[in-house]
Amino acid sequence: MRPDSLGPEPPDILPRSPHKTYGLMALVRGTSPLVDATPEDAVSTWPHLLLRGLICALVCLSALLAAAMLFDAPLHDPASAAETPDPAKAPWYLLGLQELVHYSAFIGGVLAPGLSLAGLVMLPYLDRSHARRPRDRRTGICLFTLFLLANLVLILIGAWFRGPGWSWTTPWSANTPGGRP
Amino acid sequence: MPSAEPGWIQRLARGRVWRSIFRGEPPGTARGNAQAVFQNLWLHFLPVKVRPHTLRFTYTFYLGGIAFLLFLVLAATGVALMFYYVPSVERAYHSIKDLQFVVSFGPLLRNLHRWSAHAMVVVVVLHMARVYYTASYKAPREFNWVVGVMLLLLTLGFSFTGMLLPWDQAGFWAATVGTGIVGCLPVVGKEVRLLLLGGDSVGQNALLRFYVLHCMALPLAMASLTATHFWRIRKDGGLSLPPSQESMASEERVP
Ligand code: HEM
Repeated sequence: MRPDSLGPEPPDILPRSPHKTYGLMALVRGTSPLVDATPEDAVSTWPHLLLRGLICALVCLSALLAAAMLFDAPLHDPASAAETPDPAKAPWYLLGLQELVHYSAFIGGVLAPGLSLAGLVMLPYLDRSHARRPRDRRTGICLFTLFLLANLVLILIGAWFRGPGWSWTTPWSANTPGGRP
Repeated sequence: MPSAEPGWIQRLARGRVWRSIFRGEPPGTARGNAQAVFQNLWLHFLPVKVRPHTLRFTYTFYLGGIAFLLFLVLAATGVALMFYYVPSVERAYHSIKDLQFVVSFGPLLRNLHRWSAHAMVVVVVLHMARVYYTASYKAPREFNWVVGVMLLLLTLGFSFTGMLLPWDQAGFWAATVGTGIVGCLPVVGKEVRLLLLGGDSVGQNALLRFYVLHCMALPLAMASLTATHFWRIRKDGGLSLPPSQESMASEERVP
């Protein structure tokens, strides 16, 4: 007997036969008659993917450990509101922003980064083409590369070409303070 | 299928101890390999099988995975640093000095934390570039790109809040300049700045707020968003394929 908790009897799509040891279990939507089929060439995650991940992790950890043993993290003088360093440089990843702020606090510090961020977030919704091959998306690749390069150039300017009072200098001139890593 | 793991792993896997820890058949057989993944709490979000393309180093350069590894290193070394660090204007700088000169392995700990943090910013940006150049942000992965951008912002937020904690000149002035920029935001600028600093200049309140953000709020946000990011990779049908292999995968998305 079928217990009540199982709800109403499912519709008999194929009539059950007492002579068969198998039956239709479920109907699934799909394009292949194979259930749970993976492409012929799929490999198992363990060990193929996970061992590669492990090796990659070990290489990265060794590199980190080596760096940590060779180079000391900087610690400057204690904080003091009275002594303003000149130039007061932001950490390197914010130097591009600082360079822009130097031209205009609002346009450089708020508008430009705000628009870049909005552009990044909305990128997949703005770029509606399905093209995936590089030769079909030349414009996009150029624009994105320009965006990355612009950031890089601004950061390098901030790091190496800005001295006291945020005036121009060169990395090899005497008044360039040691860049802050 | 011939098994691919080294013999010593197989021998270990047949022992009593191993089998008390890992349920299911030992790896080596197709079923054992599958169970090694889906019966493991920490791995079960991974598919049991992947396309060979997923393994290819020159497609992803494993950058997302390396970013995650760096986050784990930062969390581990960060917890250790918290045992010594005191977020007070009087003591913060000295706790860092202690780490440098008194605590065993203190410099190693701090250096690991600092260099991993810098590396993470670089690696996350490179990962984003990889995703762009392989056009992996296109449907159905649009939203995972958005999650990614939030992860990038969190990464920068970590760096920014962490820099103030040693209470040295570099951090103090970076926080002063940075929150100054926040103050330029239209309409809400002043309020957000006040919220961040708990006053109108960088002082004890700001130090405590940056500390709580750095050690509590941001890690929680990062952990949740990383989980979302990984879960979406799976739900979006695994890693994107190169255009040449794309057509055959369109029917394989996991519902
Ligand atoms: C903390 C930061 C991040 C972590 C830990 C992370 C982790 C990962 C991992 C492990 C993968 C698998 C493939 C790979 O390793 O490349 C991945 C894929 C992906 N990530 Fe991230 N990610 C981060 C930030 C980002 C950012 C900043 C973006 C974009 C703005 C992004 C967008 C994506 C997309 C769209 C995929 C799918 C790629 C594909 O299918 O080929 N992620 N991420």
